[in-house]
Amino acid sequence: MNEMAARAPGVRRVRKYRGWRLFLQTVVARAYPRVIGAQREKSWMFFDIFLPLLSVAAYVYVYRAIQAPEEYVGFVVVGGAMTAFWLNILWSMSSQLYWEKEQGNLALYIIAPNSMMAILLGMAVGGLFATLLRAVVIMVIGSWLFGVSYSVSSAWQLALVFLITMVALYGMGMMSASVYLLLSREAWHISNLAQEPVYLLSGFYFPIKNLGFWVSMAASIIPLTMGLDALRQLIFPSGAALGVLSVEVEIAILLVLSLVFLVSARWLLVYIERLAIREGRLTESRR
Amino acid sequence: MISSLSKRLISDIRAFWRSFRLSAWLGWQIESNWADPFLFAIYSLIKPLAAVAILVVMYSIITQGDYTSPIFTYIFLGNAFYIYVGQVMTGISWAVIDDREHYKTLKYIYVAPLQIPTYLLGRGVARFLIATVSVTATLLVGVLFLHVQIDWGAVNWLLFLLALFLGGIMLAMMGLILASVLLLLAHHMWGLGEAVAGALYLFSGAIFPLEVLPPALRVIGYLMPITYWLELLRRSLVGQVAGAFPTLVNLSNGQILGILLALTIAFGLISRFTFKWCDHQARERGLIDVVTNY
Amino acid sequence: MDFAIRTEKLGRIYKIRGGKKSEPKSLTALQDVNLEIKRGELFGLLGPNGAGKTTLIKILTTLLAPTTGRAWVAGYDVVKEADKVRPRINMVSGGESSGYGLLTVRENLWMFAQFYGLSSSEANRRIRELLEIVGLSDRLNTKSSDLSTGLRQKMNIVRGFLTDPDVLFLDEPTLGLDVGASREVRRFIRKWVDEDETRTLLLTTHYMVEADELCDRVAIINQGRVLACDTPSALKRRLQQEAIYHIEVSPLNGRGVEIFESLPGVHKVVHRAHEGSTVLEFILAQDDALGQVLNAMTMSNIHILNLQKREPTLEDVFVDLVGRSMEEVEQSLSVDVKP
Repeated sequence: MNEMAARAPGVRRVRKYRGWRLFLQTVVARAYPRVIGAQREKSWMFFDIFLPLLSVAAYVYVYRAIQAPEEYVGFVVVGGAMTAFWLNILWSMSSQLYWEKEQGNLALYIIAPNSMMAILLGMAVGGLFATLLRAVVIMVIGSWLFGVSYSVSSAWQLALVFLITMVALYGMGMMSASVYLLLSREAWHISNLAQEPVYLLSGFYFPIKNLGFWVSMAASIIPLTMGLDALRQLIFPSGAALGVLSVEVEIAILLVLSLVFLVSARWLLVYIERLAIREGRLTESRR
Repeated sequence: MISSLSKRLISDIRAFWRSFRLSAWLGWQIESNWADPFLFAIYSLIKPLAAVAILVVMYSIITQGDYTSPIFTYIFLGNAFYIYVGQVMTGISWAVIDDREHYKTLKYIYVAPLQIPTYLLGRGVARFLIATVSVTATLLVGVLFLHVQIDWGAVNWLLFLLALFLGGIMLAMMGLILASVLLLLAHHMWGLGEAVAGALYLFSGAIFPLEVLPPALRVIGYLMPITYWLELLRRSLVGQVAGAFPTLVNLSNGQILGILLALTIAFGLISRFTFKWCDHQARERGLIDVVTNY
Repeated sequence: MDFAIRTEKLGRIYKIRGGKKSEPKSLTALQDVNLEIKRGELFGLLGPNGAGKTTLIKILTTLLAPTTGRAWVAGYDVVKEADKVRPRINMVSGGESSGYGLLTVRENLWMFAQFYGLSSSEANRRIRELLEIVGLSDRLNTKSSDLSTGLRQKMNIVRGFLTDPDVLFLDEPTLGLDVGASREVRRFIRKWVDEDETRTLLLTTHYMVEADELCDRVAIINQGRVLACDTPSALKRRLQQEAIYHIEVSPLNGRGVEIFESLPGVHKVVHRAHEGSTVLEFILAQDDALGQVLNAMTMSNIHILNLQKREPTLEDVFVDLVGRSMEEVEQSLSVDVKP
């Protein structure tokens, strides 16, 4: 069967963009509800920023109670700031598809000619403002409150590590989001399950080398593991003594992870969407 | 007059029991309806064990694994029982979002002859039971593998059970306050229960003695019923460890129990007034059946 | 010939999860469906709840894969060429709650327009035009969570037309709308198809009147099978040789209609309780058979309150094909399908 016949003359049909322009439009459009929602419902500023700051402070005082060196307070502040990004991946990207399925939006995203990667990126970008704000507030206020001092050895490496970690992390988020196309209620529980174990294994509050080399390597599948390790080496006076591998090697690992996750995300999204269509999971509502 | 009062009381008790029983049953149906029960079991164990492992690793790095120190038992027990705080507060407050936005049944609950606050409290029962499994597993791991110093022969079981019971009610009252607030907030705030529990971690003496906090913040800790609750649990299970920290050492068990009871009643009153006000606001603004999707 | 939609032996079987201890069962939602819908047609799919209409829509809109057979929309295979189908279609379901409550009507619609590649200016222009048509222009800046069910459904309908699809799928679009709004929407649907012969619309409904009034052709579907497919008038003409009588009688009080069904010349009898009476619909081979029916009523002490000869409706066609009214079919359905 071929293309349908030409349209009737004299009737103005709507012009629709394709390709990269459609991709960008989709990202912006999907980010829009997040951004606007944050403006219209401002309670998140208290609950998503101030309260987590208090949680971070709790871990600071644990270290003070057991008389840890002051540098460890800095680890908690940095790790606490980075939890914002992990939570954004878990709740604003991956398991968000579960909510979208429940509300009926997922079906409409699927039948539209846009790319699911664009939808997911839009979700992430939309949540980025709140996420960045949370991270910055925890870093700045946490550092000020607890007297954390930094000694940045290389600003460009710091920027590079942060950027590549984010790319890899969001690539991982897209990859895991594809699995959520198949899930129902268990999606929420799996996301909930992935919080504390990742804080532990990725060394959010302590240098990961304390868990041993092999555990560190296994945990490096989560981009924040290497990202945090490199960040700590670059901003704390102890420097290289803190890291499980050198900053350069960790940057290389993060680059590989970025590539692998982004390519896998693209492939998995297509594959799992087809699987979900075959099994009729895209429109089911199984709470 | 006495007869009519007692009739009224019986009627109120029946109404309370009906609302509570039904919502507890519903809460259990929802929580236990897992696609894979094995995954559910893993979830109930892995999450709390990972949370405690973070503290154990932090502790062992600094102290080179000195688990015999009383501070370790202090931290471990506080963290273990704190699981109840997150679970109960989340369980009760989450019911508002779940029923309003996902199941869209909150309006029908309102229309039915049920007591809404009691209904919300009942929804927290399932989470309390799940938390009990998690707390028990955490304690077992601590005792068996990490030398948490519990002398089972010396445990004050009466104090323990009393503290646990009163603590459950206290946490339920706090959960109800959050649930009331959520009547006025969008779907996005579904994590309020955990966020508040995380924040109170700082003030409740759960993982460090209150003395570590600056004096201005310590005052908040003294106003939190969770502080006294955890202290009672520690005293009942590991009296000698609790005594090693001077926070509440000048107060007897009876006094702490009395303070906990008074604060529970106070929070109960606060929750009552908060619910009334938020409920009124929600009805005024037509929020009972709103679906924000955001 | 260019077909906008074509299906060939299309089938779909669902596995139903039973209770925790029961074995999963399978449910045939669609079986051997063969349809050819021409470009420019307003095609109706008529059937009771649970007939398979929504399943068919989901397959054609690339949300669900068929278990057997194939389907093409706008010339492309819905399974193998889904990415070519999607730019050309859109879908609206009755009672959907899509979108975001915190966004306004305009913002929700703009967002969905972006997913199809419309420029913002074009999208906003079309939004204003379409909202004017459906009578929602005064709600442009209202948050969608503040809309009533009916107004929300109007917004959903606008979303479907906004992207100017070649093929539009409307699944029970007037669900939740009042009589006046339903009429307006039907008028708009008809106009939309008529003004451009490249546009095709597939509408599912269980309202006979809607299918009769709107559709160029109608397929009657029941229990996953297409029983008949033709223009409404051709379908009704099938019954024109037969005579249809509507007789209101005194309450039957539990007596069955078997006494009438066994009479010569009586093809079908459907009965329905009414306030203080019973309504009997007779499909007779010819008018002569009426005498026997009336005699039987007299012999059985059944009092006749009202008698009318009716022109056949699509409901009658359905009864003729299925043997029961649509209402009776829906009542008899007891399987809860969760695809």
